[in-house]
Amino acid sequence: MPVIVMASPKGGVGKSTCAVLLASEFARMGAEVTVLDCDPNKSLTRWASHGTPSRVTLKSDIGRSEIVPTIRAADGDGRIVIVDLEGVASQLVSRAISQADLVIVPMQPTALDAEIGSEALALVREEEEALGRSIRHAVVLTKTSAAVKSRVQKELEQQLSGAGIDMIEPSLVARAAFSELFAYGGDLTAMMNDPDMTTGGKVDKALENAQSFTEAVYERLK
Amino acid sequence: MNGSNRLAGLKARPKDTTVEEVRRVDEVGEARGFLDRTPHKKAGRKPSPRTYQLHPKVFPRVGEAIATEAERLGITQGQLIERMWDVYNGSTDTLTTGF
Repeated sequence: MPVIVMASPKGGVGKSTCAVLLASEFARMGAEVTVLDCDPNKSLTRWASHGTPSRVTLKSDIGRSEIVPTIRAADGDGRIVIVDLEGVASQLVSRAISQADLVIVPMQPTALDAEIGSEALALVREEEEALGRSIRHAVVLTKTSAAVKSRVQKELEQQLSGAGIDMIEPSLVARAAFSELFAYGGDLTAMMNDPDMTTGGKVDKALENAQSFTEAVYERLK
Repeated sequence: MNGSNRLAGLKARPKDTTVEEVRRVDEVGEARGFLDRTPHKKAGRKPSPRTYQLHPKVFPRVGEAIATEAERLGITQGQLIERMWDVYNGSTDTLTTGF
């Protein structure tokens, strides 16, 4: 089963959110999912401490020496493996990328995110060259506006597409429900069905966005 | 989107990663600034659990003898005093000194 790696040397771009959404949605489809939390901030561990969706298993505290054998062990169990990496340029990141079937580079539609995120894209290409095999990779824009596409976002999309970068559509819109997942744990479906969970946002729209995003990722893994 | 039958179609490429490949990946990463950032353990000797300080004044010949004997045994003067304390107590076990 495929290994999906969230990579960007910049923090706060939405790597953990992407990981949680994909894990939840793939599990909802019936997949057994292993999520590896390699981020010292332990965002996914915090999410899981409130409860994980069924069929999702979390492994924490995975360092540089453990990353390759841990991915291989989980992959061997016939599970989808989702790796959430730290937001720094480290060997842990480069090693995880080497094990990926798909590297997703989340970035907010800002020049700074694009510049730092492009380091991950360049690293993927260099690893492809060094290993003599292709590593599929794609960018997803995160925390985008639900209402309008900003000029910066349009320009960034043009630049990335022009450079031959695969862009995942739809982007992930800035939704309160995505942030609240880390406070409540579980998934968006549970959040929508539980009146005690208050997000102040449109959970149905967030779920729709997450499902379309997962579908787009699924298409890249076929 | 529903059904594990769809998931059965998901592909994964073979990942027979060798030590040599990991080394190459590390090199490529390092060249781009992706370095080993594993927190390293603090270097040096661990702090001693022997924290109690005595302040005895003894005759020079006794002090010199204790110092020489500790050096000969390859232990600290404190450890030698602990042994002496065990003997003084009539204890032959190693509970006090750890020897």
